[in-house]
Amino acid sequence: MKKYWSIIRNEIQRQFTYRIAIAAYAFGNIAELVALAIIWTVVYQSIEVVKGYNASEMISYVVFAWFFSFLTTTYAFEANVARDIHMGTLSNILVKPMGYLKYMMTVATGRIFVALLVVLIQVIIVFYFFWDKLIFSIDFPTALLLAAMLVVSYLINLLLSILIGFIGFWTAEIAGIYLALKIIKNFLSGFYFPINLLPATLVKISLFFPFAYTAFIPIQLYLGKISFAEGLRGLAVEIVWLVILYGIIKIVWRFGLKKYESVGI
Amino acid sequence: MIIQVRNLSKTYEYYKKQSGLWASVKGLFRREKLYKKAVKEINFSIEEGELVGFLGPNGAGKTTTLKMLSGILYPTSGEAKVLGYTPWEREAAYQKQFALVMGQKNQLWWDLPAMESFILNKEIYEVTDADFKENLDELVELLDIKDVLDVQVRKLSLGQRMKCELVAALLHKPKVLFLDEPTIGLDVVAQKNIRDFIKSYNEKNKTTIILTSHYMEDVKELCKRVIIIENGEIGYDGDLTSLIEKYAPYKVLKVTFEGGGVREEEVRKFGEVYKFTPNNVTLRVPREKAKNVARDILSSNLPVDDILIDEVEISDVVRKIFSKEK
Repeated sequence: MKKYWSIIRNEIQRQFTYRIAIAAYAFGNIAELVALAIIWTVVYQSIEVVKGYNASEMISYVVFAWFFSFLTTTYAFEANVARDIHMGTLSNILVKPMGYLKYMMTVATGRIFVALLVVLIQVIIVFYFFWDKLIFSIDFPTALLLAAMLVVSYLINLLLSILIGFIGFWTAEIAGIYLALKIIKNFLSGFYFPINLLPATLVKISLFFPFAYTAFIPIQLYLGKISFAEGLRGLAVEIVWLVILYGIIKIVWRFGLKKYESVGI
Repeated sequence: MIIQVRNLSKTYEYYKKQSGLWASVKGLFRREKLYKKAVKEINFSIEEGELVGFLGPNGAGKTTTLKMLSGILYPTSGEAKVLGYTPWEREAAYQKQFALVMGQKNQLWWDLPAMESFILNKEIYEVTDADFKENLDELVELLDIKDVLDVQVRKLSLGQRMKCELVAALLHKPKVLFLDEPTIGLDVVAQKNIRDFIKSYNEKNKTTIILTSHYMEDVKELCKRVIIIENGEIGYDGDLTSLIEKYAPYKVLKVTFEGGGVREEEVRKFGEVYKFTPNNVTLRVPREKAKNVARDILSSNLPVDDILIDEVEISDVVRKIFSKEK
């Protein structure tokens, strides 16, 4: 469909007008990774193995989890959704023959395009510095499964972002909620460290949420810590969550729109 | 009948927010819900090709009505049909046939040249390449914006931006157009440009247009028919010219005196003195007495040079209607 391509193209062009903002963001990304790498390097100076991870496994985990997360992040897309609601620009879409959810998902796709390019450049730099510490071993089926998980993880993150943005229907400011959820999400997804370092109950709880499947499970699969079958199961759980989230979004959208209409922004 | 509105009402919900820190803290736990009746049981209908002006002070319910007709808001009660559709059902078939332009909100992509937004709208409204080219050329020509199409929207002046907004809204040749304060914030020249454009566009394409504006000039120039909304109710619906007769039960007498002129006490008995200088006096007199008063002045011993019976300025009438409010 041409309209989707038009939206994506516009959004990519728009992103290029914010080159400096993107560069700044990219710099922050790397700093976060360097911090994690330094901590683990120090830890492994006095210890051989942490909960079954040796030094190169841990560094690999951190680097690849970081990589995976930045390939699937939506870059605070919730703010765009909330802004549409608060500024009333949602009305612009409402009067047009195009659904808002479709429109925003298309915008988000164009939006990550430039960021993806930046992430790829960063990955080259990161791989260069960590080359001798990283584990590279992957077969074709696993690569395929990881690619599928990458796409589904992105969609889960996108739907979550839109859902959080919809909170804007009821509150005037979503930044606080967004930040709190982001930290919880990073924690439960295993972005900072493998979640099996946590107590067993917490691990069980986190496997119940979709987050672990957007970083922890794929990287475990990559590192050969879980079997291919377990990886497939992870993908299945992700897809179930995707469907659930889509259902929730539809419902919240209906209620939110009623609210939007009743206050008449 | 293109637009038919029957008993349309809209009540907004909002929360009472008292000032002060303690009240804010209390507000976290218990809030008092309040209701504002923005539009109350209004009725009107509009024929194809009409250009109707909605007049009314801020908060009278003009924009709310337009939003309901565009399908952005659900009404609390009542019904409306535009082109045979119920707007708030938001059917694509209806959405492809109307457009809404809000002077205070833009639909153009802020960081991109306006042309990109036009192309996007072309795709969303599924306009064919040939139609797109023809419409765009015509609009660009009429509005004289050839040079600004490739400039980032945020670098345009307000007037240029408004013109681009109009182009974006008209590319799919809507049959019905809602214009909410299209000239707000513009300088006099830009206002006139937009006004001229709306006028000729309406004449040429027979587009049905509802226009809201604060500027009397807009309404005077463009609309034969006006609907005055006060406090969510329709106060007047009819010809702009007969509006004066209804709301201004008096006429204006402009009298010029010769020589040293007159003193104010001498003319006061003829009517309400509106403006006074010894040689020029403007009086307001009841409509039906205007002729008699003029004769009385002429036959008095005052040094009359000239006398003129005139209608009240339309803007004065509207100002009077608005100030009655609240």
